[in-house]
Amino acid sequence: MLFEKVLYPFDMRKASLNVKPYILKLKEAGCKEVHMVYVMIPSEWGLLSREEFDSQEKLEALKGTMEEGFVDGLLRIFNKMKEISKEFEENGIKTRVVIIPGELDEVLSWYADKYGMKLVAIGITSESLSFFRIGKIVDVIKAVKEPILIVKTPEEEDGEV
Amino acid sequence: MPLFRKALYSTDFSPLAEVALDYVKKLKEAGEEEIVVVHVVDDLSVELPDGTDLIKEKDVFKILPEVDQEYVVNLIEKLNSIKEILEDVGLKVKLYLKYGNIPKQIVSVADEENVNIIVMGAHGKGLLSEILLGSVSTDVIRHAKCPVLIVKKREE
Repeated sequence: MLFEKVLYPFDMRKASLNVKPYILKLKEAGCKEVHMVYVMIPSEWGLLSREEFDSQEKLEALKGTMEEGFVDGLLRIFNKMKEISKEFEENGIKTRVVIIPGELDEVLSWYADKYGMKLVAIGITSESLSFFRIGKIVDVIKAVKEPILIVKTPEEEDGEV
Repeated sequence: MPLFRKALYSTDFSPLAEVALDYVKKLKEAGEEEIVVVHVVDDLSVELPDGTDLIKEKDVFKILPEVDQEYVVNLIEKLNSIKEILEDVGLKVKLYLKYGNIPKQIVSVADEENVNIIVMGAHGKGLLSEILLGSVSTDVIRHAKCPVLIVKKREE
């Protein structure tokens, strides 16, 4: 089952949204489950232990330890991802939406192992692989053991979703 | 939208490339119809112009030293075996045997053939470039205009 379980890293950019049609199409080749993962990078969100925030309640509970504005931001991301994931469910693909703190490459590789993901489908911009921004995406490509589908979006077409 | 209609399958005939072939076959279920199979050779005993097509350019083949001719014939046989495998599952196949820089030639054929996706095993030829930039795969990802599927290990 080569495409049965797809790990779909999502960063609220159009480049990652552009991966969605490919995953939907892969249903015809056996995709049954999609895990949409937003990685909370420590430098952006402060230090938190690696935990799987997969419900509004779990995120709300963070209000005791993090600034309310940050948590509201995470809730907005979570709800937006839930909204985007509806199309998968409507097409018969089981979906999980989760926010996890940590470094992108470490979280994706750990998550793919833990849940037996068969494919990682990631959206990047053309500039993500240029000399000056080579780090993050190449680290992901190197860290993840599963096959990885990379969908590129021109920089000028990228933006927040 | 023809997301997977025409695929480029890049092979170095390694075990990992064989695994990638399984993915190429599987994508037929998602609308794939045509495969462009590419192997790039960069280790002949003579220098040829970058991008030379060793299948189409028969005159170039004739001027190669005997040892290279044997090597090229063997590569063409391997490509033809892959063609048979893919045709057996109902896919239309076109073969390329290119000489030159590996990622550059893969991307060049992808552009020329206007493929929807490139499928390849993650091979990391070139220690220095691996350290500085990544592997052949990374260079293909960097320069390709279409999505790239990199296969890194055998499906368990």
